[in-house]
Amino acid sequence: MKFDGTTLHKYTKEKKVGEGTYAVVYVGKQEFSHRQVAIKEIKTGLFKDGLDMSAIREVKYLKELRHNNVIELVDVYMSPDKNLNLVLEYLPCDLEVLIKDTSVVFKSSDIKSWLLMTLRGLHHCHRNFILHRDLKPNNLLLSPDGELKLADFGLARAFGSPNEDLTPKVVTRWYRAPELLFGAKHYTGAVDIWAVGIIFAELMLRIPYLPGKDDVDQLDVTFKALGTPTEQIWPNVSSLPNYDALKVYPLPSRQELRNRFSAATDKALDLMIMMTQLDPSRRFDTTRCLQDDFFLEQPLATSPKDLPTKSSGGDEKRRKTNA
Amino acid sequence: MEDERSNDMCPVCKTDRYLSPNMRFLINPECYHKICESCVDRIFSLGPAKCPYPKCNKTLRKNKFKNQLFEDINIEREVDIRKRVLAVYNKIEEDFDTLQDYNAYLEKIEEMVYNLTNNINKEEIEKEISQYQTEHNIEILERATRESQKNEDWTKLQEAQETLRQAKLQLIKDKEEEGVAEQKQRRLKLVELLQNSDVDPEELMKQHRAETSQRSSQRERDIKTLSKQLEEKILQAAVNAQGGVEAGPQTPFTPFCGDRNQFSNYTLLGKPANDLVDITDSYHDPYVNKLAQNREYLGSGWRLKTVYERALDEAFMGLNCFIDIEKAEQSQAQDSAPLAT
Repeated sequence: MKFDGTTLHKYTKEKKVGEGTYAVVYVGKQEFSHRQVAIKEIKTGLFKDGLDMSAIREVKYLKELRHNNVIELVDVYMSPDKNLNLVLEYLPCDLEVLIKDTSVVFKSSDIKSWLLMTLRGLHHCHRNFILHRDLKPNNLLLSPDGELKLADFGLARAFGSPNEDLTPKVVTRWYRAPELLFGAKHYTGAVDIWAVGIIFAELMLRIPYLPGKDDVDQLDVTFKALGTPTEQIWPNVSSLPNYDALKVYPLPSRQELRNRFSAATDKALDLMIMMTQLDPSRRFDTTRCLQDDFFLEQPLATSPKDLPTKSSGGDEKRRKTNA
Repeated sequence: MEDERSNDMCPVCKTDRYLSPNMRFLINPECYHKICESCVDRIFSLGPAKCPYPKCNKTLRKNKFKNQLFEDINIEREVDIRKRVLAVYNKIEEDFDTLQDYNAYLEKIEEMVYNLTNNINKEEIEKEISQYQTEHNIEILERATRESQKNEDWTKLQEAQETLRQAKLQLIKDKEEEGVAEQKQRRLKLVELLQNSDVDPEELMKQHRAETSQRSSQRERDIKTLSKQLEEKILQAAVNAQGGVEAGPQTPFTPFCGDRNQFSNYTLLGKPANDLVDITDSYHDPYVNKLAQNREYLGSGWRLKTVYERALDEAFMGLNCFIDIEKAEQSQAQDSAPLAT
């Protein structure tokens, strides 16, 4: 990683593709290899105390991780106006776009394949003791050859040190695990598994599974669907800071879940139930998920290159072939 | 015991079997009071409601209602209880090391079932069962799926064999019909010959008879070989069903894509450090062990094991480069290189 002028001329920005509160994203090229890349320019000056935290987190963890199912951080450089630029692998599509595109039909093997790739990427993060903390379809990017990659490590952080408080205000609301909703400060990789479980459900339903309108409503929606946790099914839950069981919903029966997910096989349902256990210590970890029989059941996962892609936007596709 | 009349009358709506012969009685395993089907529909359609029997305060749900299988309600109850207990205590003989352990386990189940049916220490036992269930939830689920997998395989095998058997019967039938039709045709031909040709009729009859016997034995042989082939297919199907995969994909599925740290690269007390359960028992760090008492920590999913795991990983895995292993591989490659060229 070099922060000097020579690095700068290695990349060209071609087109602005998006702008967020703290960054602008461009599509560009790596000069010498003509490889298409995405360049994320972090806005400075907005922050009094130097750089934005999420940019630092993103660099810190992506530099460490290298896996087929995690976005690649190609380079980092400083532009003349003193802005920080992250050079990332260019991934033209994400899972949210596909879920919303009603002209695309998902086969059960496609869903299996995406889930598998998500879990493999997440397994790599967790075995390196890194929590992603912002998993949602929007952050699962798809490469032109169909590979799914975890992206946006702006909220990622290390876990496993004994006595550090973690903030419970993480993860996009709809994918937030119950322990986070209760304000837990010592959570684990189980929060990511919950998010993946909810994404799994969303892939089957094609609509968000637990869309809470606000943080209070999220509790209500979550427990209406999956039951209100009690000391009996989740030991020590009442010691969590914001624990509240005013409205007690019964645990859903298997039949209720089966009715909701009418297309799911028994094994798919089992895995989803284990990924959305209310008690984080009872939720499967990535290893258990990957070893689940669901992935051995016919039909097997579609190979990435055969997965459906964005149907509209032929212009997008042409660009892909040029790359 | 109830008399004949009350047996045929719904005690809730007083409908009689005499007037509505199609009525069916349902019971709910909460209290085993029998209620006719139309009453169940009427009372419980809108959600859980109280049992309509006077003094019975149980809340019942519609989906729990079922047909009564046994006339004696006590037997019905025992069967239900047994089903419920066995769903939790679902170990099989192979899960035990000795027959004695297995027998003790069975004995325990029997005792629980007996006590539950006869309301002896009922609450205590219920508590024990639910505790066992929460503690062993995952194992129970695993065993249940294993069992259903087994049954599935077996039914698949049965189905495959059945279809093949049907095919075999059909084939034999077809062959026979074909034979009959052919014979008929040949007889017609013979009659025609007898009428029109000037060959000796005796000779023609003889020829015909010889041909017929030849044909029929030929047919029998055909049927025999065909059925043999089919039987081989049945056997093949059986082997396939037991072997699981028929013609699987070319590359076998690997959940971790061949990238898994199955074994740690360090040892603990001379043992591979995969199972850290041991160390949480034998190693005592006063500071961290005190945290493990904190209910808020435990409720969030925080576990002692993760802390030790990360500490050990960071201490021993380093940069995940193992020079001695790499060197050994290198020298091995050098050794084998001249042989290869």
